[in-house]
Amino acid sequence: MFLSQLNNEEGRIFMREVAVIGIGQSVFGKFPGRSAASLGGEAVVAALKDCGMHPRDIQVAFASRAFDASLTAQRVLKGVGISALEMVNVENACAGGATAFRGVWKEIASGRYDIGIAIGVESMTTSSIAGKMIPPQGDDLEGYLGMTMPAMFGMIARRQMEEYGATAEDFAMVSVKNHHNGSLNPHAQYQKELTVEEVLNSRMISEPVTLLMCCPNTDGAAAAILCSMDVARKYTTQPIRVIASALLSGSYQHLQKDICASLVGVKVAQMAYEMAGCEPKDIDLVEMHDAFANEEIMRYEDLALCAPGEGLQLLRSGATKIGGRIPVNPSGGLLSLGHPLSASGVRTVCEVVLHLRGQAGARQTPNAKVGLAQMLGGVITGMEHGVAAGIHILAR
Amino acid sequence: MDRIYFKEGIFSVDTDTGNGTLLGNKCASCGQIYFPPVDFCFNCLGQVMEEAALSRRGKLYSYTRCHMPASRFQPPFFVGLVDIPEGVRVFAPLKEAADRSFQVGMDMEVKIEELWRENDKQVIGYVFEPVK
Repeated sequence: MFLSQLNNEEGRIFMREVAVIGIGQSVFGKFPGRSAASLGGEAVVAALKDCGMHPRDIQVAFASRAFDASLTAQRVLKGVGISALEMVNVENACAGGATAFRGVWKEIASGRYDIGIAIGVESMTTSSIAGKMIPPQGDDLEGYLGMTMPAMFGMIARRQMEEYGATAEDFAMVSVKNHHNGSLNPHAQYQKELTVEEVLNSRMISEPVTLLMCCPNTDGAAAAILCSMDVARKYTTQPIRVIASALLSGSYQHLQKDICASLVGVKVAQMAYEMAGCEPKDIDLVEMHDAFANEEIMRYEDLALCAPGEGLQLLRSGATKIGGRIPVNPSGGLLSLGHPLSASGVRTVCEVVLHLRGQAGARQTPNAKVGLAQMLGGVITGMEHGVAAGIHILAR
Repeated sequence: MDRIYFKEGIFSVDTDTGNGTLLGNKCASCGQIYFPPVDFCFNCLGQVMEEAALSRRGKLYSYTRCHMPASRFQPPFFVGLVDIPEGVRVFAPLKEAADRSFQVGMDMEVKIEELWRENDKQVIGYVFEPVK
């Protein structure tokens, strides 16, 4: 089912088909001398250039940033000559970028505007948490008792080993795969191949998770220009359709019996597949949240790329490598691109668009027709891990 | 040295035995038990909550040894999730037994002890350790 068919019999809902026509990404890395506005501006300029659009043609903007955020869209767009239009700033942990993208999609699908831009940006090295692990909120009980994201994924990894027979080598293989992909991506912070031994022998962070199984804290930005399908044709012969947009928050923790099975991750995927009118087998590539190497394995199951409990076999089969049945994180993922929190949810969409256009170079998914961009994250005591989750499915 | 609880109202110590207990609460309508205690029931939105002391023992659901500093803890330190028979999964620092390493499923017991020191005060909280 296409979005244009979503208007129901009573005509109460009318959703226009929306396309992505321009994508842009800043450099990703550690840039203590650059502001979030400057990184965001670089991504916006790249996205405008990508589709040959004049800055003043933008009608609405959504921006996402998590740390030290204030008037992010206005600061970013001021620097590229855009002011005096509707701008919205959102924060939604790692799903912030996906939330901004969805915000623009809704504005255009509803017919309120024809052209909009979604911006995700994070400057981790100039933020108040520079040089630290992402800290818990001050009054968060578990944070006070030593909970961190690596500790959470260390505990998840222990369950994956216990229940499914996963080994540290399996987790290292995810990192090796994604770093191979990253070596093919000129935008990646780390464009370097790794071996299983290098990953296993790197510094221990939270057993069995080693340093090279963790994504780095990174500065960077991404932007995507969306418009209605009729406007899209004025700018490009290759509009990429947004066939699903889904955003969901996590459940209370007592409902999650298995920490390797995400309630919100599964549900948001079901919502997206239903809206797109497609099945997991129809997806040609996936970009997703691989903040920790072992996380990617549980997300295979969230997205129903395999049956529940079979994520490990899917990894071992090689199906998720470039050239496999369902490449996952052909960009290199958060593990090699780095994770500027709010940028990643837009950046994953940009990567999917590249593949659907056939412009992904050495990491191209052959003949990709449909791609899925997922991003989720955040921890709060009393809720399942992954408190906010967003998915977009795109098609050519 | 002065002793202060890291958080009031979520654990107690029996002055005779020294045994610690985690204090959760239970929804009077649907029976769901919570730790830490909640103001109302997240399941059924029931407003009447009753005190519910948790069993002192549970089974280790998962664990990890952390090698990065976090909160007030200096590495290396263990944390884990312990499944309490009342159906509650508690996150807590873990204390290693001298004679065996942690195993998923092993029996654990709550212990109230010093977590760290702050301004010449002992900060007291809960940890879990393998049943002796």
